[in-house]
Amino acid sequence: MASRFYLGFLLTIAVGCGQPSEPPPSGVATAPPIPAGVLTIGSVSLNPTQEYEVVRPFADFVAANLHHVGIGRGRVVVVGSLSQMVDELREGRVDLLIDSPFPAVFVWQRTGVEPILRRWKRGSDVYRSVIFTRADSGVESVDKLAGKIIAFGEPFSTSGFLMPKAALASAGLRLVNYEDPAASIPSDQVGYVFSNDAENSMFWVLKRKVVAGAINKDYFEALAGDRISELRILQTTEAVPRNVVCVRGGLDPRVVQAIENLLLEMHLSDEGRVSLEKFEETSRFDRFPGGADHDLGYILSLLPHVQEDLGQ
Amino acid sequence: MDSEIATMRLGLKRRFVAFVSAIIITFGVVQTVLSVRAQNGLLRHELEDRGKLLTTVIAANATGGLAATDVRELRNLLSEARGQENVLDAVAFDEDGRVLTDGTLSNPRRHMSISEVALRHASGSEALLVEFDSDSMTVTKPLRLGGRVLGGVRLRYSLASLAEEQASLARRAAMVGAIFALLGVLAAALLAEAVTRPLNEVIRGTRALSEGKPAPRLAVRTGDEVGELAEAFNEMTRKLRDTTVSRDYLDRVIETMGECLVVTDSDGTITRVNSAVCSLSGVGEDELLGQNCRDLFRAPQGHMSLLDALGPDGSAHGLETELLARGGEGVPVMISVGAMEENVGRARNYVVVAADIGERLRSEQQKDEFVTMIHHEVRAPLTAVRGAIGLLEGGVAGELGERGQELVKIALRNSERMGRLVNDILASRKLDSGRMEFRFEEVEMMPLIEQAIDSTSAYATAHKVRFELEEGVPRAMVRVDTDRMIQVLTNVLSNAVRFSADHDVVTVRASRYDQMLRVAVSDAGPGIPDDFRDHVFEAFAQGEHKDWRHRSGTGLGMSISKGIVEELGGAISFETELGAGTTFLIDIPESV
Repeated sequence: MASRFYLGFLLTIAVGCGQPSEPPPSGVATAPPIPAGVLTIGSVSLNPTQEYEVVRPFADFVAANLHHVGIGRGRVVVVGSLSQMVDELREGRVDLLIDSPFPAVFVWQRTGVEPILRRWKRGSDVYRSVIFTRADSGVESVDKLAGKIIAFGEPFSTSGFLMPKAALASAGLRLVNYEDPAASIPSDQVGYVFSNDAENSMFWVLKRKVVAGAINKDYFEALAGDRISELRILQTTEAVPRNVVCVRGGLDPRVVQAIENLLLEMHLSDEGRVSLEKFEETSRFDRFPGGADHDLGYILSLLPHVQEDLGQ
Repeated sequence: MDSEIATMRLGLKRRFVAFVSAIIITFGVVQTVLSVRAQNGLLRHELEDRGKLLTTVIAANATGGLAATDVRELRNLLSEARGQENVLDAVAFDEDGRVLTDGTLSNPRRHMSISEVALRHASGSEALLVEFDSDSMTVTKPLRLGGRVLGGVRLRYSLASLAEEQASLARRAAMVGAIFALLGVLAAALLAEAVTRPLNEVIRGTRALSEGKPAPRLAVRTGDEVGELAEAFNEMTRKLRDTTVSRDYLDRVIETMGECLVVTDSDGTITRVNSAVCSLSGVGEDELLGQNCRDLFRAPQGHMSLLDALGPDGSAHGLETELLARGGEGVPVMISVGAMEENVGRARNYVVVAADIGERLRSEQQKDEFVTMIHHEVRAPLTAVRGAIGLLEGGVAGELGERGQELVKIALRNSERMGRLVNDILASRKLDSGRMEFRFEEVEMMPLIEQAIDSTSAYATAHKVRFELEEGVPRAMVRVDTDRMIQVLTNVLSNAVRFSADHDVVTVRASRYDQMLRVAVSDAGPGIPDDFRDHVFEAFAQGEHKDWRHRSGTGLGMSISKGIVEELGGAISFETELGAGTTFLIDIPESV
């Protein structure tokens, strides 16, 4: 789920999913009444309408399958920044958050949410970032990037920006944002520009527009193509979960359990697979193999280097 | 026969329709093909222009993306371009000719090189490069910025829709062409009908004519050749009506003829006879047809056969011979033959008209017998009577008393009158039968007139009338029989005397008139009544007049005079006025 956590304004849409229950006419045999409980799924995006359209079917599906725990309908709340989402969670207006690991860990650190499951996307459960340069650039390690400029992808991208930036910063490099790829970079800095696209980053490196680039490792070979020999990988980060499912602290444990059970089995039914596919090509949900604390530990360690970027 | 003509008419109409239709269809096909080709060319150019324009527009929008190597922007741009109609493929390439993006997320041709030709072109030109293959064209638009080669955009543009549009155009053109061809054929059929209808009318009219039926008058609808034909046909039928008769009519005429009509071919074989022939010969038509005419007609005297008696032009007139009736009996006939050539150069046919002259011959014979009887039984005794009366008057039988002498004179005068009557009858008969003999000689006219006056003077004196010869033509010569000429003059003079009153003068004038010598004998008598003028020269004609009875002659004089004058090559006529007198005019050719 794309997050626009750097915006300073609140953009909230709360949309009811399903129909409120009404008492059936007396003396008429009908289906069991729809419970009155509401499950609210939160999302961070600069395009609330589009985001709502993406999330709503998933919310409907989930709510429709939680009647037994008193959930009658689903609701979607879209906000414009992570800080707003933090507020929504703290106030108990959002029950469920599904986001990338850095935003998820960011929220986890500030609210009582609990990471309960991993979300697979496009068949992969984890991803890594790769920092690369041209083989003939003369840069053989990340520390040689000082005084050079590196291209990151989009500002909210975990693999294209947050993780590689945090990795470089944790290596002791001071990263400074520039607008112009041709800008002159002081030797105590690593300048970075946003190419806003992994493919851009690849071409910028190949065409020597920038010295290095950072992209999702899954795309690296495909984007390098037969020119891979012209490149040199400077660093590959550790694997981190693709997405994390968090539940609000204080949510009825029966409901939390019911959600866990539902999400873990969604990929087993046709109806569930269809709903997953529509939900940004989600493959499945599973538990953290090593537990949430372990599997999110790396992110947790890097978080201080990108907190400013996330909190904007 | 009708069906043959119908077939011919149909054939002409069909040929006309086929000919006009062929022209229309050929013209239509050629026009359609040319039009379709031209339209195809326009379509192709239009499609090519659209492709080139689209490439140019996309390239212009891609300039910023190429300059900044913003593949995402280029991808979005080309993705949008791929959604355009007829765009099969689109790539943006860098200055090295390597593909940056093809507008797809997968971008499978990333880093691949464009064609050598395109790269070479992009390196040295900003113009469009257009490459064609079977159903598409690839347009390459190189891009530069400030003299720096940025790369370019290549767009593969489908021309398949062109084929569809061309096929659609061809179908529409063919359909329109077919409709026009159909209309053309219909128009040709109507035109053919319009052209052949008057011709059919002419054919029907001609057929009616050939069958002897009344030919219809054709409507002259147009002023062109067809209208002229109808007009000519009408004119022809009008003239035919004026100048010819129908076969039925001719048949009726021929069958009504009293004379025998026989038609033979050039050999004399009978091909046609009328009922008069059958009646006269007693032989049926079927039997006569195919016979030779020598079996029907006896050869005229002096000839081997009837055809032998014909002149060089194949004709003969007034031939007297006999028609051989059944049983060998000969019926006297007078024959006229005419030669008939139906077409120039073809053998003649002969038309023989034979008139039964048996009755006439019998009448002639009776007349001859009567004349012979008159000659022998009347003239000879009358001569004896006159002789005897003359002797009595001469006193041979003794002196007669006064009363006796008067009676003898009466007898003598009547016997002389009877003698003149007999002579006139004999002369008239000789004229009728052509047996009067003429002895022509060149003589002076005036002495003949004077001699006639002298001969009639005694008669005139007896009637107390005198002659005056008022003018003459001295030395004018005529070739006549002197006796006959004097006989004519004497007749006319004595006739004038008879109708003159006492002491009247009969005037005689001789003059030249229109190459003739004219002798005019005028009396001052009562004139000839209107109702008798046409009968003056008929035999035994005598007018009814109170004064005429005692003045009449034999009634043959003027008839004989006319016959003689005509035999002499002249003419006799008269001018008369009641109460004023009559002038007889005798014209005789003058000998030069």
